[in-house]
Amino acid sequence: MSKTLEQAPPNQREMLIIAAGLTVVCLVAAMILGGLYFITQPAKEHNVQLREQSMIRGLLDLTPQAKILEVRRYLRSEGRDLQVIYLTTKSLVTMDLNGNELATHVVPDDIATSNSSEMKDDWVFKQIKAPSAGQIKYAGRFFVGVEGTRRAGYVVEGITAGYKNWIRFFMAIDSAYGIRGVEIIEHEEDPGLGAEITQRYFKNQFAGRSLADIERITVTKDPLPDDWLKALETLGDMPFQPWLEKYRAMLPKNPNIHAITGSTISSAAVTNGVKRALANFRKRMNLVEKYL
Amino acid sequence: MSTYRPPPPISTMLMRGLFEENPVFRLALSLCPAVAVTTSLKNGLMLGVAVLIVQVLSSMSGSLVKHIINPKIRIPVFTIIIAIWVSAMDMILAAYYATVYQEVGLYVKLIVAFAIIISRMELFSMKHNVVPSFWDGLGMGLGFLAAMILAGSFRELLGSGSIFGIAVVPFKPLLLVVLPAGGFFTIGLIMAMFNWVDLKRGHKLPSTTSGCHG
Repeated sequence: MSKTLEQAPPNQREMLIIAAGLTVVCLVAAMILGGLYFITQPAKEHNVQLREQSMIRGLLDLTPQAKILEVRRYLRSEGRDLQVIYLTTKSLVTMDLNGNELATHVVPDDIATSNSSEMKDDWVFKQIKAPSAGQIKYAGRFFVGVEGTRRAGYVVEGITAGYKNWIRFFMAIDSAYGIRGVEIIEHEEDPGLGAEITQRYFKNQFAGRSLADIERITVTKDPLPDDWLKALETLGDMPFQPWLEKYRAMLPKNPNIHAITGSTISSAAVTNGVKRALANFRKRMNLVEKYL
Repeated sequence: MSTYRPPPPISTMLMRGLFEENPVFRLALSLCPAVAVTTSLKNGLMLGVAVLIVQVLSSMSGSLVKHIINPKIRIPVFTIIIAIWVSAMDMILAAYYATVYQEVGLYVKLIVAFAIIISRMELFSMKHNVVPSFWDGLGMGLGFLAAMILAGSFRELLGSGSIFGIAVVPFKPLLLVVLPAGGFFTIGLIMAMFNWVDLKRGHKLPSTTSGCHG
């Protein structure tokens, strides 16, 4: 080993060879990884989508025949003007911040039924960019579960700042803006500590809470009572409605979210994210309701 | 490399990684991720297996390219080789083994920063052929896996009162052990045990400079 460590500094010619060699190595590496990415990416996206769809179905207890409609939200800024754009399966609506309709486009079938978010975004950008080149950004989405002709509920995608990085979650909401359940999709919390937010005894504490409950909910460091823990662990094995009937009496006894031991920050992050996402969804739903 | 030495027997290469040159407890390499992840047995096991695979693949590739690269740029080239294997594993798992990926995705990405892998490539693969490199990588990977299992089960048992997520201890566990500080205590204690066993067997304490290949 000592031999390689005590080399004289390379001369110019050698330096060139080294630089060229490193460049070639990097190019080869980039080509291998690029090729692999090209091959695996469609399968990966497909997996992510399947997982999201099955999560939405699970959260809303949908039958396999039920349809899931996606509503995407974009923000467009033009100088000081800010506009909100909603893409539903029927129309593309541009509104000002007070919810006054500015423009509407009809959504063609291939976009409405497309599963590719990239395709939808491209279409929206093309439609909106037409009059002027304002800045337009994707700003979130929610899903409507439709069972036959009945609306079974909504699933909102929320995002909140975790301990190190963003936590993305799905939140299922009924027609009265009560919460049916929360599911963490993506997070980078510490395993064994903050990562416990994905466990039933934490995420199921939101299930069955009404809009008023959520508005004044806080995080407590009190230990989780044993009977409440047992009740929380069963949601998921049994569907939401029977679970709520069975344990409804326990909700007022546990009015707050019990933090995970050693991870108060992650617990509070999810709780605040849920509160914010629900309040925002209520406002947005009022605006977009008639375009669904 | 002009100083070619014949590889040691396979049993030596395997046992060296597990005991006398155990990456975590002997060489004190990769302590940071090891401490961060061993909060439970399952986490330790997953990371251990992921490191084992990347170590074997990287060691073998390192010995394959050793004649065609300028020795002066071997470290960046090794880093790139490790990065390729880690990214490839990450992408393949995410695309074709989605359920496994949900469990191990986090750990796979951690491996790029593992000192043990690059140190084995530098110390062993640079001097030996593919087959001995495979055995050396396997030994070192197994040593790391064993260390992760040991530390993970110790911390989960004492800190969370469970093993593999199943509660086994009826009393309130010692939370400190799962916190990062407890990770260092755990590794320190196991290291001390390694040294104690060594002393009992009549060996001298290892010198402070890491003791590979003199």
